[in-house]
Amino acid sequence: MADAMNVGVNLEAFSQAISAIQALRSSVTRVFDSLKDGMKNKETLEGREKVFITEFQDNLQSVNRDLNELERLSTLVGRPSESHPLHNSGLLSLDPVQDKTPLYSQLLQAYKWSNKLQYHAGLASSLLNQQSLKRSANQMGASAKRRPKVQPSTLVLPPQYVDDVISRIGRMFPDMSIELFRPNGTSAVLLVTLGKVTKTIVVMRSLFIDRTIVRGFNENVYSEDGKVLLSRGNWNVYKYSATMCFYNPWFFSKVTDHATTALLHYQLPQMPDVVVRSFMTWLRSYIKLFQTPCQRCGKFLQEGLPPTWRDFRTLEAFHDTCRQ
Amino acid sequence: MGVTCVCQVPLAEGKSVQQTIDILHKKLEQLGAVKQGNFTVDCETYHATGNASGQPTKLLYVMHNSETPLSCLALFEGGPCLTADGNFDVLMIKLKSHFQNAKGHKVESRGSRYRYCDFLIKVGAVTMSSSARGISVELEYCPCVVPGDCWNLMKEFMQSFLGPSIPELPSVFATKPEGLYAPADCVDTMTQYLELFSKVRKQQVLPGTTR
Repeated sequence: MADAMNVGVNLEAFSQAISAIQALRSSVTRVFDSLKDGMKNKETLEGREKVFITEFQDNLQSVNRDLNELERLSTLVGRPSESHPLHNSGLLSLDPVQDKTPLYSQLLQAYKWSNKLQYHAGLASSLLNQQSLKRSANQMGASAKRRPKVQPSTLVLPPQYVDDVISRIGRMFPDMSIELFRPNGTSAVLLVTLGKVTKTIVVMRSLFIDRTIVRGFNENVYSEDGKVLLSRGNWNVYKYSATMCFYNPWFFSKVTDHATTALLHYQLPQMPDVVVRSFMTWLRSYIKLFQTPCQRCGKFLQEGLPPTWRDFRTLEAFHDTCRQ
Repeated sequence: MGVTCVCQVPLAEGKSVQQTIDILHKKLEQLGAVKQGNFTVDCETYHATGNASGQPTKLLYVMHNSETPLSCLALFEGGPCLTADGNFDVLMIKLKSHFQNAKGHKVESRGSRYRYCDFLIKVGAVTMSSSARGISVELEYCPCVVPGDCWNLMKEFMQSFLGPSIPELPSVFATKPEGLYAPADCVDTMTQYLELFSKVRKQQVLPGTTR
């Protein structure tokens, strides 16, 4: 306790002493500056001499004041206490060969870095825990013994049921057509054609949406053997054009990013058909992708992009940079 | 390929064609557009001979576009059009008896091609028998294929670099606002170029712009 109080007083006096030293230095500099500058221009010689002498006296007096202040503070600072031994790592600091083996300074840096890392990790985990990204119905942190061995029932649905749900949703929206394929096993792959704006590929795992890819309306979504193309191979190159027109992939991949955010947002493990319906409603708001200006700034273009973000609740259009 | 709009830009006050083009290039580069090469669009006129007297001679226009260097487009104004191979020019020479080339009426637009995000901008000087007649600007918005949807968006973009001289809706758009813009064979684009070239042909030669 006494040690802590000692440390407190020492530190404060220390900082005051350092500022006193700075004040002293500046007043001494002022003395020499006024000497260097010499006499200022006034009408009479006596006037000039008088001004110079008064200035010089003022500067010397301020030097005196600062020096007294510093002496007073230096008595308060006292000795550094010996009561914080550094144990083994402190012995490292006694090694004089700093440039060959800078162990102590590296050790200090490593400790500082790991403390900072721990602090940031704590902040990050508290932020991430606020928004749960788990999409299963399992309880978090259940011990291994109590974890259920059975899959949740919503993951094992008969394909016929999935077909029914999808066709019902497709009928809900007249300007959106949904085609269903099953290229690999029981996972459904939907090709959603939205008006004449986009073609979206939605990969599902029973009734959960796994992944979406948004493409332009006139892009090729089928590979050579008629299967739906999941990866974008070459850009849309018109082979007979000498100056190849690169279809900018970045615009629709931005929309794809938003769609992925949407499918993580709409989550209800117990009622997946509601999820699919809300996702399709959200996707349908893109039908006027090129016609709606941003709700926030009122313009169509921001850095060359139209408003690509659709709010999850109100379905309003925003630019990606305007949505905050 | 997306919706394309071709328009004519008036010359800046007291400046020549080349100077106005340089001003436009500078504005585009300030926006952040990247130059991607050059382009050429040209149009040759052929008179159809052998018509019954009393009928006006039909004019056949044969156009080429550097975007599609292996094809050429033959069209009657307001009438049917044909997309053909590059050898069509040779065929026209063989058809000399039916179609006569009006050599002095060849109009072409030549210039640089810029790309900004999803926009392709081509600024060219329109010349007829090596005298500069005006400036053409072609703007293509690649992601969209329905002209009615993105006209406002394109107008906003044109305002950013053309200033107040924005064109009205091209007639090609007005006829099919909800239909698809025919991309692959550039028919709609070339129709717009044809309209621009016809207007330029009818104009007087601009003072002090002969090269």
